[in-house]
Amino acid sequence: MKARRVKGLDPSKPLRGNAALILRTRLDELRSFADDALEPGAVEAQHDMRIAAKRLRYVLEITGFCFGAEAETARGAAKDLQSVLGGIHDCDVMLPRAEGIDSLTTFLHARRELLFQRFRDLWREQAGEGVWAGLEYALPP
Amino acid sequence: MARAREIPGLDCDAPFARAAARATEVRASEVFEHSDGILDMEDIEPLHDMRVATRRLRAAMEVFEPCFPRKRRRKSLKRVKALADALGERRDCDVAIEFLEGFAAEAPEDDRDALAALIDGLREEQRMANEELAPFVAPKRLEKLHCRLRKLVKAVQA
Repeated sequence: MKARRVKGLDPSKPLRGNAALILRTRLDELRSFADDALEPGAVEAQHDMRIAAKRLRYVLEITGFCFGAEAETARGAAKDLQSVLGGIHDCDVMLPRAEGIDSLTTFLHARRELLFQRFRDLWREQAGEGVWAGLEYALPP
Repeated sequence: MARAREIPGLDCDAPFARAAARATEVRASEVFEHSDGILDMEDIEPLHDMRVATRRLRAAMEVFEPCFPRKRRRKSLKRVKALADALGERRDCDVAIEFLEGFAAEAPEDDRDALAALIDGLREEQRMANEELAPFVAPKRLEKLHCRLRKLVKAVQA
């Protein structure tokens, strides 16, 4: 999944404003996959959302200190999303190899289902706690 | 997994370009700090740490894209990506083998032979991935990449 291009960056202007532009773009990108990824079998959307969470997390690791506690909370939330979606992806990668091995196939399907529920709960919880809205609010206009 | 290092000297009010140079410099050093023991297939953590460090470096090079001379950045990024891909191929095998070995120990008797065969196949893939990775992490090649990245940092445009 190619990253969305960030418009308006200016190397001569302060880090804060440029970082805000990047974070807004990466946050929009993450949110744009959520509706599709919340469907249990949406392998591609879940994969794209994992990549989007990873991108957002790494930008926050570098620039989050400019935006206070909300950015630190968002960094942790992005990491949690990346981790649970990574677990789902690992199941998707392993499943074709598991063909013909009943115990492994059953385990991977059950694990995927469990991780998917965890992902859905996590996303709702993060939204409910205002993690992403908080980050958005912390960014200068 | 190694936690990202704080980047000293970053200032929210300083120019983006200055942050680009500082962040890329720190993220590049993290990659090379993790290069010891990469080809050891018994201890899979150093490779994981180096892989994550390459991801963070790529992220910095993407975040600060407009601050770098386009051609120089593209060439550097291509080399970092090639290293990351080679590390990724080995890592995928490492993770799958670790998981399957744990699973096989508890699996029903009927599935154990098939699981052992699957693990053997993955071990072969892991060995091949390690062979393909070896030239990317040869000391001379890593030093060349580090040198290229230092030049990229110096060339940051304000």
